[in-house]
Amino acid sequence: MNKEALQGIRILDFTWLLAGPYATRTLADFGAEVIKVQSEKTASGAEDNTTGYFNTWNRGKLSITLNMSHPQARNIVLKLVKISDVVIENFTPRVMPNWGLSYNKLAEVKPDIIMLSMSAMGQTGPWRDFAALGHTIQAFSGITYLTSFPYKIAPPSPGNDGGQTGQILPLGLGYAYADPVAGLFAVFTVLAALEYRDKMGQGQHIDISEYEAFCSSLGVAILDYTVNDNIASPQGNNPGRSQAAPYGCYRCQGDDRWCVIALSTEEEWQAFCQVLRYPAWSKEERFSNFSARKRHVPELDKLIEEWTIKHTPEEVMGLLQEAGISAGVVENVKDLANDPQLIARKFFLQIEHPVLGKSVSDNTPIKLSRTPARIRGAAPLLGQDNDYVYRGLLGMSEEEVSRYIAEGVIY
Amino acid sequence: MNLLEGLQILDLTDEKAVFCSKLLADLGAEVIKIERPGGDSSRWLGPFWKNSPHPERSLSFWYNNSSKLGITLNLEVKEGQEIFRQLVNKTDVIIETFPPEYAKKLKLDYQSLVEINQRLILASITGFGQTGPYRQYKSCDIVASATGGQMYICGAPDTPPLKPYGEQSYFVASLFAAIGILVALRERHQSGKGQHIDISLQEAVAATLGHVFTRYFYDGAVSQRQGYYDRDGSFCLLPCQDGYIFLTIDREWDILVNLLDNEGMAEDLKDNRWQDSQYRRQHFDHVVEMLTRWTKRHTRAQLFLLGQLMRLPWAPVNSLPEMVNSIQLSERNYFVPVEHPELASSEGQLDVVAQFIGQLCLINQATNGEGREVGDKLLRYHYPGVPYVMTGKYMMRRAPLIGEHNTQIYQGRLGLSSEDLKRLKANKVI
Repeated sequence: MNKEALQGIRILDFTWLLAGPYATRTLADFGAEVIKVQSEKTASGAEDNTTGYFNTWNRGKLSITLNMSHPQARNIVLKLVKISDVVIENFTPRVMPNWGLSYNKLAEVKPDIIMLSMSAMGQTGPWRDFAALGHTIQAFSGITYLTSFPYKIAPPSPGNDGGQTGQILPLGLGYAYADPVAGLFAVFTVLAALEYRDKMGQGQHIDISEYEAFCSSLGVAILDYTVNDNIASPQGNNPGRSQAAPYGCYRCQGDDRWCVIALSTEEEWQAFCQVLRYPAWSKEERFSNFSARKRHVPELDKLIEEWTIKHTPEEVMGLLQEAGISAGVVENVKDLANDPQLIARKFFLQIEHPVLGKSVSDNTPIKLSRTPARIRGAAPLLGQDNDYVYRGLLGMSEEEVSRYIAEGVIY
Repeated sequence: MNLLEGLQILDLTDEKAVFCSKLLADLGAEVIKIERPGGDSSRWLGPFWKNSPHPERSLSFWYNNSSKLGITLNLEVKEGQEIFRQLVNKTDVIIETFPPEYAKKLKLDYQSLVEINQRLILASITGFGQTGPYRQYKSCDIVASATGGQMYICGAPDTPPLKPYGEQSYFVASLFAAIGILVALRERHQSGKGQHIDISLQEAVAATLGHVFTRYFYDGAVSQRQGYYDRDGSFCLLPCQDGYIFLTIDREWDILVNLLDNEGMAEDLKDNRWQDSQYRRQHFDHVVEMLTRWTKRHTRAQLFLLGQLMRLPWAPVNSLPEMVNSIQLSERNYFVPVEHPELASSEGQLDVVAQFIGQLCLINQATNGEGREVGDKLLRYHYPGVPYVMTGKYMMRRAPLIGEHNTQIYQGRLGLSSEDLKRLKANKVI
């Protein structure tokens, strides 16, 4: 059996919530040894080891308990730093320095240590201490505003009269997307820093701003503004900069069932008409070529929906894709869990947890042919690896460990 | 930054993964973008410089191909494939987005390429991946967004599903692929062997759904579109004097009621029954109504700074210019100047002069960090940079012109003569 790709890399993990744990989970998936530093005092909510959330974002990691507010904790951390390759944290910027664990302090005991600090706004700048969730970042970045329909939507309740003020109501994303995005940049930069360390013998401090990570997803729209002064506006499901018609999200048979369709070539249009069995309207002048179709989008969409509404989204996708046309079911999470493509590619895996029992989790989408990800198992229980780490790795005696426990350091 | 200096990459991607090689180029890898003779079709993707379509003026091409080298090569003819094999022999990584069957036909599949170079790392990014019943299916951003589960949960309960702004599936698939490449590179140091990385847009989107899978697999909950507010009562978007504010309202309840009370606007929300988050969820419309009365008396800036002062994760719902002009981004030098000398020469020159004379106000904008500078017959634009600070200074070069580095690569790297080059050009190979 091949060795795992990141075997031998040890990561000291101070992360919590989503963005940070998502990053260290990815590193663990490929064989890194991730030691998560926890404490009885903080292991609640998202950091409660026996919840589904914790199990999802912390699979395959080790857990130790260390009471960071105890003055003796710092020395233990420094001993761990000495035997680690990477330290990752996603606190607000003052937390690690307050513990006496700034990059400079870590580098004193391990000169080539790689430290990654990920925070909402980065380690510097006037907003560095801002508190943020994924949704906060999304609002700051512009995507909450930009993800909406290009027309006014009837307000959903009397409390919200944005429609009357003449504004487009922002809708935004229905989930904390900015967190995984920041986590991916963390993994990417850590791997690059390891590459550099192995070549040059130098560690470094990586400073990631979640805000900037997310702004990177809007790069082209930003450039259109800085270069042309063009101001991006909500596009709904319109094709935006790509030339396509028909294009969009169409209602299908069933309750809240939808399918997306995207045509960009004349060849696809011909195939599309064939799938629909050449309805009379398809031969009309107003749909006879691309620019004509583009001019009559609302009428065209209405006619297409008359066809899609008679079919399930799975039928629409199957019929169109077999004819060589881009189409896809708008899948909810239940659809995803039963999606034949995802199942065939083993996108889901079973994890057995000592308390939660058997559960399902999404696999990594990074599929390597020779050294694929190997999920080691469930998330750890709180402090389950104290013995391995404190006695095994740090060589503490049983008495030492007992004393630290009695004094509330290992806690 | 030159963290990945020495790493050589051939870029055969279309818009689905063009950002992947940019990520690596940003860290100092040498990326050679291979375009078909006459230029890649993605050069026709808007928006364009000064809104005028031209293959050297696509801003999406500019952004996604900055810091890369560019050559042209026809991979569909034998002579082109011959040259490509020589390039494969000298490269570490190839990134491609061809349909699996097409790649096989051109002998660009992993089996064929690994015979030339067993250290090669090949990253393939397609709509549904290299295996499974949908592997031949076509895709694009909206199809990936739909089949990856993103669209269903964006939008409001009374609207159709909504695709998030931009091309998010290409963005995250590129990130996953870039990570896969660095993981494979690390492994190659041990084994001396490369491998094939198979990335599906659908899976890339699904893998960034946050808690959606967890809620389903543990609680059986199917996440729905919820638009302006979270049905669990933890946050909402509310109108202010000048736009919208993102507010969290669950754990912050007491602080929030105090803030309203300070302005005499808390009314019945002070009653004990509102302490119960369950009760608040059941009467969420009333909560929203009361909060809206308050938020509408204020501007976004007043409210979000007030919230942040109390360590609450509040934010203004910004437009794109507001984001670009935010003081935090300029203080951290997120935007980097990129020079476009090619626009100041030949046909572009008149445009530049006209712009220079006609819009002198731009110079003022440049000095107050607006992002654009015009002067000395040189155009310099501000590009979004990288979201990290690492060892070394970050620099960005403008995207290559069509075939700009043909001579450098074909003569300098492969040792072809200038006669060879002329012949290849005549035969439309390059």
